[in-house]
Amino acid sequence: MSWLRIREMVRKEFIQLFRDRKNRPILVMAPLIQLLVFGYVVNYDIKDIRVALIDQSRTRESRLLTDAFTAGRIFRITHLPGTSGEMEDLFLAAKVDLGIKIPPDFSSRIRRGDTAEVQIIADGGMSNMASVRIAYTTIVIDRFNGELIKELYGRELKYGKIDGRIRTWYNPNLDSQHFFVPGIVAFVVMLISLLLTSIAIIKEREAGTMEQLIVTPLKPIELIIGKTIPYTIIAIGQMVMVTLVALYWFEIPLAGSVPALFLATCLFLLSTLGTGLFISTVSKTQQQAMMTTFFFILPFFMLSGFVFPIANMPTVVQWLTYLNPLRYFLVIIRGIFLKGVGLDILWPQYAALTVLGIAVFAGAVGRFRKRLD
Amino acid sequence: MTVNLRNVRAIAGKEVYHLVRDFRSLYLAFAVPLLLILLFGYALSLDVENIETVVVDFEQTDSSRDFIRRLEASPYFRIAAQLPNAEAVKEALDHGRATMAVIIPAGWSADLRADREAAIQVLLDGSDPNFAGIARAYITGFIEGVNRKLLVEFLNRQGMEQIRPPVEARIRIWFNEDLESRNFIIPGIIAIIIMIVGAMLTSLVIAREYENGTMETIRSLPISAGELLLGKAIPYFLIGLTDVLIAVLMGQALFGIVMKASYWLMILASSLYLMVALTLGLLISSVTKSQLVANQTAVLITYLPSLLLSNFVFPVINMPKFLQLFSSVIPATYYINILSGIYLRNLGLAYLWPDLAILTGMFLILAAANCIVLKRGGL
Repeated sequence: MSWLRIREMVRKEFIQLFRDRKNRPILVMAPLIQLLVFGYVVNYDIKDIRVALIDQSRTRESRLLTDAFTAGRIFRITHLPGTSGEMEDLFLAAKVDLGIKIPPDFSSRIRRGDTAEVQIIADGGMSNMASVRIAYTTIVIDRFNGELIKELYGRELKYGKIDGRIRTWYNPNLDSQHFFVPGIVAFVVMLISLLLTSIAIIKEREAGTMEQLIVTPLKPIELIIGKTIPYTIIAIGQMVMVTLVALYWFEIPLAGSVPALFLATCLFLLSTLGTGLFISTVSKTQQQAMMTTFFFILPFFMLSGFVFPIANMPTVVQWLTYLNPLRYFLVIIRGIFLKGVGLDILWPQYAALTVLGIAVFAGAVGRFRKRLD
Repeated sequence: MTVNLRNVRAIAGKEVYHLVRDFRSLYLAFAVPLLLILLFGYALSLDVENIETVVVDFEQTDSSRDFIRRLEASPYFRIAAQLPNAEAVKEALDHGRATMAVIIPAGWSADLRADREAAIQVLLDGSDPNFAGIARAYITGFIEGVNRKLLVEFLNRQGMEQIRPPVEARIRIWFNEDLESRNFIIPGIIAIIIMIVGAMLTSLVIAREYENGTMETIRSLPISAGELLLGKAIPYFLIGLTDVLIAVLMGQALFGIVMKASYWLMILASSLYLMVALTLGLLISSVTKSQLVANQTAVLITYLPSLLLSNFVFPVINMPKFLQLFSSVIPATYYINILSGIYLRNLGLAYLWPDLAILTGMFLILAAANCIVLKRGGL
């Protein structure tokens, strides 16, 4: 193996990559745009529930109930439809999330000691958001009941009541950015390293220069190293760039160690570059390579726990996720950023990444050499 | 501009030939939708159940055990382990073996029996905010529920008449009665599929001519820009419509997700959106003139925005104002709104015409831009 030949190969790759001016925005802008958009987009925090209220009772009690809803500032009464039909229209046009309908006999029933029914309508469209809205609604009603009982029966009921003291760790304000920004750092690294490697090789083949490379003294292993080093460097550069944006723009705390993060990135790159090489061996044209890359990236992305929790998946699919390098990298990167844990706790993930990386890379290299011969 | 159908047919024929020869691209054009529907239908869900919970019971009394039994009986929680102390809890959360911990302190049931407030500590792993938000709401609701039962027990103990709760909420859920994320994700995924197949595949077709140098040949032929565009778009239009059909049928057959509104509306809206996607892809292709750049541009301006900014799974209403504005120029926003109308809300043209009109406008603008760019390129 000659380092000189590898160095020249690497230099050629860089010249080719940067000579085409249109490539530059891809390398710098694409990861940044992805990070910025993702960072702001993914937000499930429920801060504002738009309520349509029909109050047919118009009594002190009904006003108390509406006050109980609006007191927490999460529920906001945005519409006061006159009829159920109008309320339905508001739902159809997706202008409100929740409808409250207080019947005419609301307060008379309460005063009689009866149970008054309040109709609550929730838009179930986005079910995860709807579940939280419904849970908040029941909590308001439960608390309101407590208040009313106190008032109606004129006594403080001091019964043994459970007080749930809920504390949230790692991300106390449930800030979505803290969860997703480290994830997108991982995703950006994968996207570029996977695609660029396979395209770099296929372009040689499409242009017919692969033949020329083969007749030079360059050995297959030197070719592979020469083709992967530039993209390793670029991927690491991008990783540094997006991490800096995550730290200083999004102000994501980096609780753990930087060397551990760097090590994990290198191990992860082993798998993605390997996959890129593999794709280049099974594709003839750039179009094929891009479609195949996409076909790999989709499941990598979906089955990694990036947005969709792995615990929710059926068992068989959960097993499949063990083959997904992004899964381990995400656990590591989130662990390092949010939990501040290190190799002592994350070693199984590091081990898995190493094994997967070596297996994928070695397999791809083997296939690649066979195709060259 | 005249469009000669024979020329269009010739270009389309050549494109079909390319597609058939490049068998894998074609097969991936159908495999991607299948994969996505299967993934989203079977594997991916944003709903929270079976929250992995660890419990530390410093009490070991009847009432603490009763509390844990109730927790276990709830469909939302799954007790993964009973741990001896707080250190073990920290370890379980650090390793991600559990996402919630319930700690019952010593003296808890004594407090309960003495009718004092008895604190229970709940620790939540907040890393995933979607999950933690729902889990927090569930555990709060669960504790309120237990409290209601305790109140009844208390009243019975005191020999008082039972108090009926003054207010009862009758909760009805509209549009997605079972609260399953699948019901809104599967229709939404159709929009993503069309973007992938429509824009990403076509983004390569004109760039390929430029890269291979065959654009020169095309220029010398008696073909107008409109004919070239139509010829390039038609094969992908058919692939896209087939993908929609696959997605609709799979959603129906495998997951029982049925359209509430009419089929014709679905076909109309899908064709329109597909036309927007195709013209967008072609425009990217003739502007960038390079397959790699075109592909990356297509990912950036078609796939990612459709996934992220279109109300697909990420609520637009929670985004900052400038992204909300951005979301209103993305075709997928309108198409997903139409899909939600067709699949969940049972809306007709009377409600959906503004969205359809906007998509038509987008298509016309993009088609015009395509012709202008190609004419400048010498066609």
